Amino acid sequence: MSSRRSRSRQQTSSASRITEDQINDLVSKLQTLLPEAHIRSGDRVSAARVLQETCNYIRNLHREVDDLSERLSELLSTTDMSSAQAAIIRSLLM
Amino acid sequence: MDVRIAEMAKDRKRRRESEESEIRRSQSHWRTEREQKLYSSKLLEALRRVRGAESPATTRSRAVREAADRALAVAARGRTRWSRAILSSRAILLKARTRRPSNPDRVKRTGPAGPVFQKARVLGRLVPGCRSLSFSKLLEEASDYIAALEMQVRTMSVLTEMLAAPAPS
Repeated sequence: MSSRRSRSRQQTSSASRITEDQINDLVSKLQTLLPEAHIRSGDRVSAARVLQETCNYIRNLHREVDDLSERLSELLSTTDMSSAQAAIIRSLLM
Repeated sequence: MDVRIAEMAKDRKRRRESEESEIRRSQSHWRTEREQKLYSSKLLEALRRVRGAESPATTRSRAVREAADRALAVAARGRTRWSRAILSSRAILLKARTRRPSNPDRVKRTGPAGPVFQKARVLGRLVPGCRSLSFSKLLEEASDYIAALEMQVRTMSVLTEMLAAPAPS
């Protein structure tokens, strides 16, 4: 019982203090997901910069989804869904 | 009987561990054609329901966005926090969301200081349900969220093209 308690205390103390190396490691992994136009992986980019670009990228993606949603809602009202749907479903199954 | 129960427990543990490791390399699963096709068909079903409901243009566009987000969250199969947050929240894009009460005493409510953690907090506000996550968990969720969003954009673009110019039947 007492050993379990002391073990969990150890775990929380080590988990709450993240090292700079761990930060850089995680951030560099995140960097690989960003579109190359923003950050060339050859350059030394700060972690803060990568996080900023990540935020920008997510906001851009949200905006794209918003625009597509608007376009889709327009199309939904004008399209004859049944024939278009048949075409889509056919292509989805192929 | 005991052997079977023990085996079931082992299976569950194995499945959970493989799911956890799958989250770590989850970006790849959002890129498969299978995932995109699955999402397309789910999205199409949801869009038919949106179309059925009569509504003005602005709310219909928001209804499409919410349907798309909900379908995306379902596609995540409960493995990520952002997807569970989307499914449990009723109105994701409620613009009139009430602001959190201000902090008159300026007591520091946030975690570690510094520009990196400051940006991380901004990121935490962008990924659904991830405001109070640890740094490493947040980045893990953000990575999966980005891959999912990219698939969402790809799929909705294809769907838009197809609906705009349907193939002759």
